[in-house]
Amino acid sequence: MLEVDTFTKYYGELCAVEDLSFRIEEGEFVTLLGPSGCGKSTTLHAIAGLVEPTDGRIRLRGTDVTDLPPEKRNIGMAFQSTALFPHMTVRENIAYGLKMHGYSAADVEDRVEESLELVDMPDHGDHKPGELSGGQQQRVSLARSLAYEPDILLLDEPLTGLDRVLREEMRGWLNRIQREVNVTTLYVTHDQEDALSMSDKVVVLNDGQAQQIDSPERIYESPATPFVAEFVGKSTQFTGTVTHENGQAVVYNDKKRITLPDSSIDDDQSVSLYVRPEDIEVSPEPTGAENEFRGIVTDIANLGNRAELSATLEDGSTALAHTTRFPDIDIDDDIFLRFPAERVIVL
Amino acid sequence: MSVQRGGLGRVTHIIGEGLEGRIANRHLALFGLGFVGLFFVLPILLLIPESLSLGSTTPFESYRRVMNGIYVDAFVRSFLYGFVTTGVTLALAYMLSYFLAFSTERVRTAMILIIVPLWIAYIVRYFGILLFLSPAGPLADVTGFETDLLFTTPAVIIGLANVYLPFAVLPIYNSLNAIDEELVNASRVLGAGKWRTITKVIFPLSLPGLVAAGLIVFILAAGSFLGPAVLGGPKQTMIANVIAQAFLDNFNIQFASALAIVYTVLLVGLLLVFNTLFDLQEVLGNI
Repeated sequence: MLEVDTFTKYYGELCAVEDLSFRIEEGEFVTLLGPSGCGKSTTLHAIAGLVEPTDGRIRLRGTDVTDLPPEKRNIGMAFQSTALFPHMTVRENIAYGLKMHGYSAADVEDRVEESLELVDMPDHGDHKPGELSGGQQQRVSLARSLAYEPDILLLDEPLTGLDRVLREEMRGWLNRIQREVNVTTLYVTHDQEDALSMSDKVVVLNDGQAQQIDSPERIYESPATPFVAEFVGKSTQFTGTVTHENGQAVVYNDKKRITLPDSSIDDDQSVSLYVRPEDIEVSPEPTGAENEFRGIVTDIANLGNRAELSATLEDGSTALAHTTRFPDIDIDDDIFLRFPAERVIVL
Repeated sequence: MSVQRGGLGRVTHIIGEGLEGRIANRHLALFGLGFVGLFFVLPILLLIPESLSLGSTTPFESYRRVMNGIYVDAFVRSFLYGFVTTGVTLALAYMLSYFLAFSTERVRTAMILIIVPLWIAYIVRYFGILLFLSPAGPLADVTGFETDLLFTTPAVIIGLANVYLPFAVLPIYNSLNAIDEELVNASRVLGAGKWRTITKVIFPLSLPGLVAAGLIVFILAAGSFLGPAVLGGPKQTMIANVIAQAFLDNFNIQFASALAIVYTVLLVGLLLVFNTLFDLQEVLGNI
């Protein structure tokens, strides 16, 4: 449906995106995830035709659109700033794209009303964008970009700038609209929760290069690079060199012995190990299990449904574990942390 | 807690304590408003009794004389030149501002070209144009034929447009520059080409700057004195020239005051008409 083929963009000497390729199938919700400056916005703008690629091709429904101006691509786009025209009413904003796409006056009127219904704002047609709240503006922006049935919907961080509660509400809402309209969607964000909760597929970008293109589950459970492991989700990190003992692959990290999930890994390899906080178990007494370390609690953050506990291990490194909410543990307590070998991510 | 204060610090502290609560922002406004009242409103009001010369035997004589053909011509010409200059200046300024606001090239040089003329006295700039247009000037040298532009209406309009261009560029550039680039992007993605984006999005959003620029240029151009004096002939006399002549050459203070009053009333009236037509509040307060 959409095919980005070895897309490269330089701004002068500065490389924004290098050799990026990915595909989106019909009806899919794909997220470009990465920190600011990773090239995700540049990629989105290039697909819309607002940025000219230095190299590479962009194909939409089998047609090469690389050299087409934005107005000839039949793309819908919602911007972070909403980019609603301040001098037009909500109705005029939605009608704009329809008129430019050659709809008749009667069709424009019908579709504007349908679009307002779709985003649950039938009574706001005569308002100016400035009179609406941030969430309402985003909904109008979405209605405007969907009204003329674009081939693909591009979303440029539309939820950034909304408060957390509204953001979570908008996620579910956006997903529902996307399924209802069944429009192929490419979503750009730096927020991993957006990416993991909404997408069929996630493209993790860093420094203009694709780190991993995978399902949200695989991005989280089996990150392909240290960057993905560190950027998506929290974790406790160890480094060390692989050796074998009794047929098991282990890593010694400053006297700590960590058993790895897979014994087929070669000796003398330098590896980074990551353990997710929900995979670490905490108790006041040692159990003698493998991969068990002693630590001192430095911080307990109650997150409502659970608590996040930070501890300093004996070598001075920091570990992060999830416990039940309001655990029977205090700061400065001696605790033991352990995790099963099969939950260790080796990179 | 006591704070040690020495010398000057202590003095300013005491003064500050004394003024605390007694001086408000509106007191500060009095200085500016007082200056305007004393040196602008009062002198203008003084023109009214002067123009009527109520004590004399012919109190309305001056106003009767204003209705004379040549003076009516000067009024009409002032407003006409004002309109034409405004039109020419706005068109040029809009194109220049558009380039400045949306060009990705370095705009510093262009901006300097706009700002620097503001530092140079009008008279110098008008004389520059005078020499440039004169039969023996560079324009004749380059084009190879002697133009009869000098001391004609086009010469005056060229001069006025040139001198007032920077006043128009600054507000227009400001309003164009304030337009979020994402709005332009949104328009393009929604299916509008470059030209339709300009007419439907960029132009409407720049209207406040354009109206402000139009008002400034019109008021300056219609009341222009040096432009027609240097670049125009007897047939290009504008109202400011007539007033200056009556006052400085003929020492007819009564008549000069009457002309000034009539001009001011006409200008304010015109602005009021403009206001009802375009609803300045709406245009300037819209965005």
